[in-house]
Amino acid sequence: METILAITSIMFFPAGISLILGGMLYEWADRKLVARFQNRIGPRWFQPLADTIKLISKEEIQPLGVNQALFFGLPIVALAGALTAALYVPIFGLQPAHSFPGDLIVTLYLLSLLTMCTGLAGWNSDSRFSIVGATRTLTQLFAYEAPFLLALLGPAMAADSWQISKIVAYTQTHWMIVLQPVGFVIALIGLMGKLELPPFDAPEAETEIVAGALTEYSGRGLALFHIGKSVEMVIGVTLVTAFYLGGLGNPLIFLAKTLGLLLVMAFLQSVLVRLRIDQTVGMWWRAGAILALLQILALIVLK
Amino acid sequence: MNTEARLQRAKEILAPFARETLTPEANRVDVVIDAADLTKATAALKSADWGYLSAITGMDLGPDAGQLEALYHFCDAAAVTSLRVRLPREGQPEIDSVADQVPVASFYERELSEMLGVTVVGTPDPTHLFLPDDWPDGVFPIRRDFKIEDAAPVERDTPKVPEQGRMGNKFIVPIGPQHPALKEPGHFEFAVDGEIITGARMRLGYVHRGIEKATEQRNWIQNLYLLERICGICSHTHTSAYAQGAEKLAQVEVPMRAQAIRELVAGLERIHSHLLWLGVAAHEAGFDTLFMYSWRDRETVMSLLEELTGNRVNYSISILGGVKQDIGLEQSRSIHKAMDYLEERIRYYLDVVTSDAMFLQRTRGIGTMSRDEAILYGALGPTARASGLERDVRVDAPYGAYPKFPVSLITDERGDLEAKFVVRLKELLVSCFTIRTIVDNLPTGELAVRFPRKVPAGETVSRVEAPRGEAFYFIKSEGGESPTRLKIRTPSLCNWTSVLNKAVGHQLADVPMMIAGMDPCFSCNDRMVTVRRKDDSQTMTWAQLRAYGIEKYKSR
Repeated sequence: METILAITSIMFFPAGISLILGGMLYEWADRKLVARFQNRIGPRWFQPLADTIKLISKEEIQPLGVNQALFFGLPIVALAGALTAALYVPIFGLQPAHSFPGDLIVTLYLLSLLTMCTGLAGWNSDSRFSIVGATRTLTQLFAYEAPFLLALLGPAMAADSWQISKIVAYTQTHWMIVLQPVGFVIALIGLMGKLELPPFDAPEAETEIVAGALTEYSGRGLALFHIGKSVEMVIGVTLVTAFYLGGLGNPLIFLAKTLGLLLVMAFLQSVLVRLRIDQTVGMWWRAGAILALLQILALIVLK
Repeated sequence: MNTEARLQRAKEILAPFARETLTPEANRVDVVIDAADLTKATAALKSADWGYLSAITGMDLGPDAGQLEALYHFCDAAAVTSLRVRLPREGQPEIDSVADQVPVASFYERELSEMLGVTVVGTPDPTHLFLPDDWPDGVFPIRRDFKIEDAAPVERDTPKVPEQGRMGNKFIVPIGPQHPALKEPGHFEFAVDGEIITGARMRLGYVHRGIEKATEQRNWIQNLYLLERICGICSHTHTSAYAQGAEKLAQVEVPMRAQAIRELVAGLERIHSHLLWLGVAAHEAGFDTLFMYSWRDRETVMSLLEELTGNRVNYSISILGGVKQDIGLEQSRSIHKAMDYLEERIRYYLDVVTSDAMFLQRTRGIGTMSRDEAILYGALGPTARASGLERDVRVDAPYGAYPKFPVSLITDERGDLEAKFVVRLKELLVSCFTIRTIVDNLPTGELAVRFPRKVPAGETVSRVEAPRGEAFYFIKSEGGESPTRLKIRTPSLCNWTSVLNKAVGHQLADVPMMIAGMDPCFSCNDRMVTVRRKDDSQTMTWAQLRAYGIEKYKSR
């Protein structure tokens, strides 16, 4: 019985198919919102699904001089990492499927796995655009990761626990956006960095390096990376909402909150200009990390 | 200093080298010099600060005359001085390079040597600029006895794919011919060390269509429509420059009303071109919202052009001797309405590009070109004006209706990308103002006068300010129904030198914006020869293509 439940939770709910479809809907919402902000019409609701089906049915081209196992393995590991992370997160405002003390740290590392895989995939591709893209992806990872982690640590410290379900139970009654506004801003912007959304899209700046680390990927591999990214978006938005915007509560209200967060992110994406990689790193370490540290310090002192 | 004084001064400077001095037109002087004196004459003009090298025209005088001519055109405001160097046609004609004094000459010299077969001694890069790599040796398309059969491609072992692999931290990032940053084909190789550019090279000619050569086989009227298709963005510039040159040669006086309408369309063309550029440049910076907004607003001017001329891209408003369509009351009302909207939007964009902090991070202080560098690299148009170099044909050498409806010169001292945005957007406000003035004060009179079928023999230089800078036309007629030689030098070609030199030392992320900063137009760079491979099934003649299409349609 235990095994069947575990398999169901990975394959169908909360991870697996439902999460992938949810990710596609979030991706569509994001694209549509950005398009409306930019005075465009934007894609139809099933566009991400159609894109994925098209990509999966396409030929996968393997460039010369790559390590085959890595080339095909990395997209799978990336997606698996993101899906596994979903097991510990209150997806769609429901209680996490699994929970243990310290699962917050595990989740954050599983989320970084996708970025690491993207970087490795770019480095493995042996194409100049990919290598420059991979370097930028990993450089950026070191820029936003620490502040993002610190920003999520704030609620954890307030709740006195490393367990997501306990933190969420605490934030249910404490609106962290009011108590730790700095942390919220850093978490939100860090999430945009994690998802490589503008203004942090230097790793895939099409006008310089085509598609960055994933330039050489086509077909199934690219589809898996894309799915991984939209899953990561769901998890990220869920985490930030649950930690800062009043916990879980009613799933419908929770969904509305995540969509509200998405709206803010789409707005930021459309009004901000892409930063150069050195500007990104500079901004995160000069402002982001220091502000996050100050907030943690304040928490320790006040406690 | 007026034009006569300038020409007088040029004559004095060149007196030690002059074999013969001619004054073909009021604003021009031709100085025939020996090939050996070319570098000295160039140095003399340069040290006296007389103008800038605008173009090099290569001409074949034909097998009977047995001579080639290379014309080095220097422009100083309205005055044009041409150094005329005669070279033997047979054997190995040689000329010294002036690229060490005038860097931009490198491109002209590459063109001269591949098109006319003149060996330029000491030119920095002797490889093909426009012609394909498999072009046969010893075949020169601009020569009069050139036959397309001679141009069968030859097999060479030039590496088709740039070398792959890593060289430590350094590698070459190839941009183009197909690359998302380029909307048109060109090839750049940027050597990067990490993120920093350490070297830059370029190659053009991917869409070379042989237009200069083609004009020699078409009559004067047909050429107008051929030249209009050099570029979709500044089609009116090319028809204006050509019509103006042909009218000068034919001694046709164009009515003032027609001139004014031409200037009006040129103003609208500038608005559409600069708004297009604004969008592209914003996109290169990763600011897609500005891209979408500016292109939406550009539709206003495109619709207006369609309303006035019937076409959105190749307006075809000019004909030889005048213009085709008049502007009536209804049109002037729509022009005013469109200008109201555009002025408001342009002011808004001006505010955005000068106040958006994140956008300024990508533009302020990036790719800064000083005034001296702009002079050295021979920059033109807004690229030069953004460096404080006051160079604008509409102001320096007013043509057409510009004396009656002058435009004010916009410059900016800073020379960085921000200055390029500011200069272009302010120019748009000037254009809007000029367009309103023209509409309100349109001179009365005829729209066009008769243009003769044959144009009297002569040579003329016609310069027009395109949205990207000065477009230079050299037209030679021998009294026939078509021109003998038509040389076009488009503004994009001049501005490349500045970009390639300034890119070194910058970050890779800044390069697309720097390239966009000069507003490159590949179609106006590339005008040349198509090679028809006989046994290549990919290339079809028009008749074959037509037959293929009919066949395909039937078998559906």
